[in-house]
Parts: sequence; C-alpha cells; structure tokens
Amino acid sequence: MTGSLVFLPLFIKATGTTIWLSWLALLIGAVGGFLIALLRTSRLWPLRVIALLYTEAFRSVPILIVLFFAYFGVPVMLGFDVSPFVAATFALALHASANMSEVVRAGIESVGRGQWEAALASGMRMREVMRHIVAPQALRVILPPSVGVYITVLKESSLASIIGYFELTRTGLLVRETQGGGFGPLLALAAIYFLLSYGISLCGAALERHYAIGGATTSTDAVVGGMA
Amino acid sequence: MNYTFTLRTVFPYLGGLVAAAEMTLTLSVLAILISLVIGAAVAVMRRSRLRVVRFAGAAYVEVMRNTPLLVTLYIVYFAAPAIGIRLSSFTAALLGLSLNAAGYMAEIIRAGLIAVPGGQFEAATAQGMTMGQMFRHIIFPQVFRTIYAPLGNQFIAVILASSLASAVAVEEVTSWMETVGANSFRFFETFVVAAVVYVVLCQTINLARLQIGRMLFRQPEARR
Amino acid sequence: MSDAPILELADVVKRFGSRTILDGISLSVAPREIVCIVGPSGTGKSTLLRCVNGLEDIQGGEIRFEQTRVEARAKSIKAVRMRIGMIFQQFNLYPHLTALQNVMLAPVVVHGEDRKIVEERARALFEKVRLSPRINAYPAQLSGGEQQRVAIARALAANPHLLMFDEATSALDPETVGDVLAVMRDLAVEGRTMLVVTHEIRFAADVGTRMVFMDQGKIVEDANPREMLAHPKTERARQFFSSIRG
Ligand SMILES: Nc1ncnc2c1ncn2[C@@H]1O[C@H](COP(=O)(O)OP(=O)(O)OP(=O)(O)O)[C@@H](O)[C@H]1O
Ligand SMILES: [Mg+2]
Repeated sequence: MTGSLVFLPLFIKATGTTIWLSWLALLIGAVGGFLIALLRTSRLWPLRVIALLYTEAFRSVPILIVLFFAYFGVPVMLGFDVSPFVAATFALALHASANMSEVVRAGIESVGRGQWEAALASGMRMREVMRHIVAPQALRVILPPSVGVYITVLKESSLASIIGYFELTRTGLLVRETQGGGFGPLLALAAIYFLLSYGISLCGAALERHYAIGGATTSTDAVVGGMA
Repeated sequence: MNYTFTLRTVFPYLGGLVAAAEMTLTLSVLAILISLVIGAAVAVMRRSRLRVVRFAGAAYVEVMRNTPLLVTLYIVYFAAPAIGIRLSSFTAALLGLSLNAAGYMAEIIRAGLIAVPGGQFEAATAQGMTMGQMFRHIIFPQVFRTIYAPLGNQFIAVILASSLASAVAVEEVTSWMETVGANSFRFFETFVVAAVVYVVLCQTINLARLQIGRMLFRQPEARR
Repeated sequence: MSDAPILELADVVKRFGSRTILDGISLSVAPREIVCIVGPSGTGKSTLLRCVNGLEDIQGGEIRFEQTRVEARAKSIKAVRMRIGMIFQQFNLYPHLTALQNVMLAPVVVHGEDRKIVEERARALFEKVRLSPRINAYPAQLSGGEQQRVAIARALAANPHLLMFDEATSALDPETVGDVLAVMRDLAVEGRTMLVVTHEIRFAADVGTRMVFMDQGKIVEDANPREMLAHPKTERARQFFSSIRG
C-alpha cells in the first residue's frame, strides 16, 4: 500500500482539475440558467415556449451523447478542433443551465407580484426593489437547490474521462493501469468524490436550515432530479 | 462549413439502432426492478430499531448519491474479476446501475413509508392482522400511491443514466451513436437520431405514467 | 355479578424506559359491564387500553382476556385481537378503501369469512350506525363524526366480545359528537361489554355501569358513576371533576 502513496500528488492535482472543470461549468450554466429562467417567466409566449423546449430537451437526453457530439461531431461539422476540456465544459454547462433555469424560475416565482407592487408603491425604484426586496427572497429559494445542481455537475464531470480528459476519474483509471489492475485506485476515486460531494451537500443542508425561517424553500431533489 | 444534414446516411445502421434501443430499455427496466428491491430493503433498514442497521442504511444512500455512477460502474466492472467472478459487460452495467439507482429509490420509498400515519399500523395490528396481511392490504397500497409519481421520474433518470453503460462496452443507444458516428463521420445525424430515441422513450414513459395513474387512482381526494 | 370476568388485570406494570406509566393496575370487567375510565391527561389511560390488546407489552403483572393470557409477542395475541374491537381518537380508517371495504377487510382477510356473508353483515352495521347512504364514500369524503361511526362499524364487524373506545369523540367538531355518542349509547343498550376512555362525564354518568378514576398510573377510585361524581372519595378526584366541569 505504501507504493500507492507515490500517486498521491497525481490524485491531488487531478482533484484540482475536477473541481476547476465543475466550477467553470457551473458558473457558465448558472448564467445561462438565469437567462433561460427570464425567458421562462417572460410575458411573450414564444419566448416561454423556447425556454420550455430547451429545458425539457436537456432533461430527456443523456448528457453523454451531448458530450460525444461536442467532441466528435462539432469538429467534423464545423471544421475546427475541439479539445476534450472545451467539449466537457460545454456539455456540462448546457445540462447545468437547464437544471439551473428550473431552480431560478422557482426563485423568481416565489416572490409574489404583490411584493413588487407594494415596494414600487412605497416609492422605491426598480433597481432598489430588485436589490432590497426580490433578490434577498429569491436567493433564499435559489441557493439551497443550487448546491444540488453543483453536485450533479461534479459527478457528471467524471464523464469527461470517456473522451480522454485527464480529470479525477481518468487519472484513477491510469493509475490502475500502471499498477497492473486491481481496484484500489478506483476505491480511492470513489472516496475522493464522496468527500467532495458529501461535504458540499452538508453545506447545502446547513444553508437550507439557515434559510428555512419563514417562506417556502423548494426541495433540492424535486427540482434538480437525475442520477449521475 | 459545408456539412449538410442528410439523415439517409444513417439508414443502413437503423437495424442496429433497434437492437440498441431494446438494450437501453431492457437495461433500464431490469435496473428499476432490482433497485426497487434493494431500495425497499434499505428503506426498511432505515426504520430499524437497531442503530447500526439504521446507520448502514443511511450510509448506503449517501455513498450512492455522492459518488459518480461511472465510478460505480468501473468498480463493479473491474472488481468482479479481481475477486474471481466473471461478469459480462451487461451484467456489470446492470449491477452498477441498479446499486446506484437503489440509493435514490431507498429515499423515495422511505418518503412513502413516512407518509403512512402511525395509526394505520396500530389499527391493522389491533384488528389482528399479521405483518404480511398488514403490508399487503394497508401499507403497500398507500405507499405505492405516494411513490407512484417519483417512481416515474426515477424511471426516466435510469434511462438517461443507462447511457453510461456504453463506457463498459454495452451496446445500447449511446454506444450506437458513438460507433456509427465514428464509422460514417455523420455525427450530427447519429446525435439527432439518438436524442430522438431518448426523448421518445422518456416522453412515452411520462405519458404512460399519467394515463395509468388516472386509471389507478380514480377515487376523489376532496373532503365532503 | 355471578358471571366470570371477561377481562382481568392483576397488578399490571408498564414502563417506557425508566418511566413507570402503569403502576400496579388491577381491574376486573364482567360481561355487559360498561366501564368508563377517566383521569387527567398523561395518566396512562390510552396505554392501559393498548396493553389490553397487546399493542404494548407489559413489564409486570398479568392480563387475562377470556381465560387467555395477553402477551404482546405471543402467537396467541392474534386470537385476542380478533375478539376485541378498538376505536381510536383519530379514527385510523384506511384511506385507500371505501367505508364498506374498511368494514369488510378484517372479517374477510383475518377471520377468513365468506365475502358475501360479511357484506350482508356490513350493510346491516351501516344501518345501525346510520350511515347507509355513505357506504361507498372514501374516508377523505366523510366528516369526522361519519368517519368515527365507520370506525365503530369496522370494530363491530368482527363480532367482538369487548369494545374499547379511546377518546372516541375528542377529535370531533362539537356538532358531530352527539351522533357518535348516540351510537355508543345504542351499543350499551344492546348489552355490549365496553371499556370507554372518555372526557364526556355526562355520557359516563348516563351510560356507564362503573367509573374508574386514574391518576399517575394508578386506579384511585372505582365506583358507580353517579356516586363517584356526587361524592368523590379523594381530593384528587374532586379536583379533577371540578376542573373539567369548568
Ligand atoms: N411509546 C411511548 N414511549 C414513551 N412514552 C410514552 C409512549 N406512549 C405514551 N408515553 C407516555 O406515557 C404517559 C401516558 O400516556 P397515555 O397516552 O397513556 O396518557 P392518557 O392518559 O391517554 O392521556 P390523554 O388523556 O392525554 O390521552 C405519557 O406521559 C406519555 O408521554
Ligand atoms: Mg390518551
């Protein structure tokens, strides 16, 4: 077992790569999800339909085929090379944006129209209403399930290994090969993912408790769904 | 930039697609059934009087929900030979998928059990029912009703998750897309076709769930 | 009083962890007796009923029902439960079954009786509890009082030798309490043996043949209801009765 300690730096570096990939995809997905949520709650029905189709499509298609398409298909179609990193970020972000849009929508809808009217009537300007009334309430509803979205991205980032990107899972498989088989490195992988994910879900649970004072929070599982 | 979308190019591979779709469906249905059994056992463990048993149940759920399915699949796929068991790709994928799905299933069933008021167990016991009679006539019908909708969502989640079986060489829809795409260089077409297959599978289940639900639960909900 | 007792409790002790809830209860109930159990909240009245049909095990003493020793974990408990009907404060009807199905389930499934015969009897019972028009309703469609009358029909369907009521009217709206009490009165007139935990002192005085006052896990007084109400022997009983009369 002492022999495997040689690989420790490699695992640490790969963990860093996985965290970087998943956070980047989450951030892009959050921005995208926010925009789609605005479309979803728009007054124009064609925009609402487009947003609905977008989220529904990404929730009934496996992310792995999106990943394959981004990595193998786009270069053939458009004639430029796509690195595994770019393909993975793109696919993860697309899926995250669909999940995130549902979370944000729930947040926006949780703030009733009456609140807007009351605040505007009290002489606040739009920006002030957004900042002091809507944002704090919506955030309370959005933040806890966002943790669930992140955990999904984190676990899904393991799929990048399939197209050859050297994140955590790929590294574990490589270490396994250099050791000539066995499944110790795979268990190490599982343990690292578990610590990352479970640690974050504990933070999420704490957030949920923190924000649970008055007002409804949506359940993480109900909004995010999916296995990864 | 002069790529033209021509579905005809993938026509020769459609025979393979049917087999692949069957594989996806078989894998998913079996995984749902197996995970239902494991999940029920874990959910019951979480209500045990013994702390160790409760902890083991909770640990199972957390481990499965916090590790990537792909890693679970690799562990099953590579670990079985290491301890002297030969598993086919299909069996390994089915086992990994079921074990992972059982983590989610256990939570669904647990929520269903929690929704049955304690008085139901008491009333049935007071009427002299055995455990088996109580389960069959009182508990199961009520639990089934609450878990019916989440069960449908879980079915869809498993279908999508079954795409990862391609990583351990199971020839289902995703691996069809990958191989046909690589052979024909028609990745756009294969992507669209595969996506349509998944969307159709998922939406069929959705519709079937609504329809069957309407037939099963016709009794009205309102009080007076 | 020459009849052999149907139910006998001798020095029954019930503990939850280190807390003693029933502290040496002795009670003997003869056929056709209507024993009303009263006392402050948390005294162990519900626990007492639950021990009688083995929903709870006991730590000391002995309970005998029609010569069978009641042991919560023994095989014989099933036969005991089949001969005791229990009515709960929260009704506990099975929500996925209609009123009729609720009443028929145990006779068919537990007693193995013929479905046709059971249905006939069930319909007669709905007549008795004055609910014939609501026979095919689901519990969620019934008022509290109606649900409790279905629960009574359900208990009667097994032809029990003893009926136990645990605050059967406490969860009801005031206007439906009367309907349920009327049904209970009918049962008393029929000569059923009943063990009734209740806060309805008027009912206990009118219908009860005996009143048992419990406090802190002990039977403090056991007498004719009117007599106990008029002349409580202990200070605790006096205080209790004056407090619930308001
Ligand atoms: N399962 C249990 N575990 C621990 N304590 C219990 C349990 N069930 C009842 N108790 C305790 O036993 C005591 C007696 O409860 P019980 O329900 O028998 O009282 P009661 O006389 O029926 O009161 P009430 O009039 O409020 O219904 C209470 O202090 C209660 O907290
Ligand atoms: Mg009580």
